[in-house]
Amino acid sequence: MLDVALVSLIQDMSEKAGVEGTIQYWARVGESLAKRMGKEAYMGWPSFNVALREGRTAFSIEGDVTALTDLAITDSDGDVVGYIYALKECVFVPTILRIRYSVGEVPKADQAVAEEYNSSIRDTAVCNFCVIHQRFREEVSKNITVGDQPLECSQLAARGFTGETKIAEDSLRKIGINPEYVRSLLRNYTCVYAILMRGARLRGEEVEE
Amino acid sequence: MNEKDERGTTLIEDNPLVDVAAYLFLEDIADKQGAAGMNTYLMSLASSLAKSMPEEEYSTWEDFLEALRKGESIISSFEVVKTRTENCMITQECPFARGWLEYTQRIGSFSNVHYDVADYYNSNVKPGAINTCCIIHQTFRSAAAERIKVAGKTVKYAQIAAIWSDGVKRIAPDEWLPILLDKAKITKTELNMILRNNTDIFVLYLE
Repeated sequence: MLDVALVSLIQDMSEKAGVEGTIQYWARVGESLAKRMGKEAYMGWPSFNVALREGRTAFSIEGDVTALTDLAITDSDGDVVGYIYALKECVFVPTILRIRYSVGEVPKADQAVAEEYNSSIRDTAVCNFCVIHQRFREEVSKNITVGDQPLECSQLAARGFTGETKIAEDSLRKIGINPEYVRSLLRNYTCVYAILMRGARLRGEEVEE
Repeated sequence: MNEKDERGTTLIEDNPLVDVAAYLFLEDIADKQGAAGMNTYLMSLASSLAKSMPEEEYSTWEDFLEALRKGESIISSFEVVKTRTENCMITQECPFARGWLEYTQRIGSFSNVHYDVADYYNSNVKPGAINTCCIIHQTFRSAAAERIKVAGKTVKYAQIAAIWSDGVKRIAPDEWLPILLDKAKITKTELNMILRNNTDIFVLYLE
């Protein structure tokens, strides 16, 4: 109920504070959520991936996240510095369905916020809620270490409720993953992202140079 | 777990991340506007939600109760409502409890501001809230009831009691309780019995 009430506010907030204001609000909520969840430390990637599978990491709040362990990200020396992760169901989908059955239509501001985010910040949002959870992942990864190395998160792809997709080709190039492969992942998952060691020298970056 | 209404359909569960994000958003508002400002905000949030939903009309009270039990009424859009008597309504599961549980599991104790704002609501609006969720819930029900007409008359709502996931109870003040129990057609003993395994008890009636 709280989620539907909140969405009914998006239109009002966007009219009063502008869609830029809504983006700032949502980004602050994502940051605040990440900060409140505290720090985590793992010995290595296997222990992080097990914790993720068992729903023990901060990332697990989003729902059913799968570590695609066949998609390891390697650095210029060939060492594994991260993996690709995929969320089964977008966190916003249940809310969209609940709005459909209670209020009727998702406010137009939902797409307006996503479009503004795509043009002013990063072209990766399929709905207004992407602002919260993409920022949440960026911030939460700063609080987690794997083998004493802090992490960073990079948004790779998302599929919206009506089937539209966003693929972050620049980010995929850096980690050396074919965009078409990630597009095929969107058949089974709604959101794909990479978690990797911050500052790692990636093979894709080397190729670009 | 999802509850089922009498028709056998299942309520769609919200994602806890969205709920926790909403709680944090409300805390952000409270930091800026204080308890009074947040209370106003919550009440307007709940009222505008109810107003965005379609109005309803029924020929008889029985038709309305049937719609309520089947999950077809605005009042039962977000939760399963059971009818103890023709005026006494009960809910077994609070729609806010899942988000609260996720918050307490992932973040820690529920921020005190949620209780401070409820204190403000209890002393300045109506004495019935345990925390901010109750303000939204009760204001929503009140605004939703105003959108329902039975035989041309507007439905009225009054809160009798609420019990939160941690066992904290809030029962209507002693001077109001006999009137509300009379309208609900239950006794005080029955009220206490209902409170054992339910979360909210309220009365819907026509004047």
